[in-house]
Amino acid sequence: MLSRPTTEQILLDCCRELMTGVLPALTDETAIVRVVMVETVMRNMAVRSAHEIAWMHEEIAAIEGYCRSVAAVVPDNSELTEALPAAGAAPARSLHLDDVVEAYVRAGRAFSAALEAAVASGDQDLMKRGEALLDSRADIETEVMAGWSPTGR
Amino acid sequence: MTDEAALDAAALQRFLDHAEPDRGPAVTSLRPISGGYSRLSALATVRWADGSEESFVLRADPPPDTGVFESDRDEEFQLLRSLHGKLTVRTPNVRWYDSTGEYFGAKTLVVDFFKARPLPEVVAAEGIPRATEIFVDTISRIHTSPLDAMPAELARPPDPQGYVDDLVDLLRRLDRDVSDSNPFVHYAAAQLRAHRPPPMPLTIVHGDCQPANVLVPDSGEVLMIDWEFGRIGDPREDLGYYSHLPVPPNLYEADPAGFLARYRERTGATEEQVNADTVSYFYVLGMARLLGQMFAGADALAQGRPRGVMATYMMNGTAATTRGFLDIARRLAASAA
Repeated sequence: MLSRPTTEQILLDCCRELMTGVLPALTDETAIVRVVMVETVMRNMAVRSAHEIAWMHEEIAAIEGYCRSVAAVVPDNSELTEALPAAGAAPARSLHLDDVVEAYVRAGRAFSAALEAAVASGDQDLMKRGEALLDSRADIETEVMAGWSPTGR
Repeated sequence: MTDEAALDAAALQRFLDHAEPDRGPAVTSLRPISGGYSRLSALATVRWADGSEESFVLRADPPPDTGVFESDRDEEFQLLRSLHGKLTVRTPNVRWYDSTGEYFGAKTLVVDFFKARPLPEVVAAEGIPRATEIFVDTISRIHTSPLDAMPAELARPPDPQGYVDDLVDLLRRLDRDVSDSNPFVHYAAAQLRAHRPPPMPLTIVHGDCQPANVLVPDSGEVLMIDWEFGRIGDPREDLGYYSHLPVPPNLYEADPAGFLARYRERTGATEEQVNADTVSYFYVLGMARLLGQMFAGADALAQGRPRGVMATYMMNGTAATTRGFLDIARRLAASAA
């Protein structure tokens, strides 16, 4: 396949084209708003495309470690004991995006169950570790937002 | 109904010819106006056979399976009909309703136009303190209105604490039927469940409580618009929803203590019930329904049923919202540590 320019570079170039070549020619207010939204989404996806597989891989490993820690303290939580094996059974070696996303979603469901179990247990250390993982996820989501700010009204 | 609402002069003319055949309507103008995120809106002027003129706002459903925020036009119609004249703030007067979409291609409300300034214009002209007084007093009047102003057929939650518990459960289940997971909402729901605030009597809740929905006339009472998410609930849902709304200037953020002190004074709520912490708590709950619709909008694309660019654009809003949830959950956890 042709690898350079990268997907990120191509998407950002399309963004430039939209904003400098298309948007100035528009007069319909609805179309203008839509183009601005499309450009925002494309900048979001440019960031994602550059890093998402690595980000998800790294987070899956951290999440699974956390979930095992919670399961050791709260061994009888049925949602966690169901979600952990399901996460472990996800395709782990494939780098195809659909496979990585499937593994990430399953890990995310286990993470959700682990967070609930941690709060129910009252274990402050588990809660703080869970918050740290959520902070990391939020930081990545902020990076993907690519400077987005609320508009629309 | 068709795929696209036709909010044009010809459609309104046909509709009024049917609805008011004896008054000789003539539509003299119609132009689209901003209807927020979720509805199609237009402003129209009609001249009647007796020479009088009236202006109306048309509010229609967007095309099916498009957009992000969904609400039921039949329920909004019932709600507006029931509320009108029963509150101490004005509510829109629905003149007609195309309940089948026969004339406009989508269910469409036709309400009286109200000559007034949106409250954000008052901020610019008279300053934040004056606008805050108007806004807080408007919310307070809604929250102290009798529940029997609401439609009889509207669901009545059994009790305040059970209602809050149900909202926490709703939050926890938001990602149950979508193909992605969201650990933020589970952590927030768990912390909310562990740190319940003191209950408050259930009231009328507007559901999209923000200054842009308050229209201020030169004299007389304000008009509160956009009731599509109106319901019976915990009044702190409205406060919480607005407290974090990222539309500047945020009248709450400008002076949270003053904002809440005036609200308590106007409603009789205690400081234990209404304070910065409980407002943050109900920000999470007040956003739950909208966040669920944002999840569903993104998931529709994942399932091969795209709803338009707004759905993917709002994934940014999802990220910003759930980050806010984390901050609030962290504070709740720290308060108990």
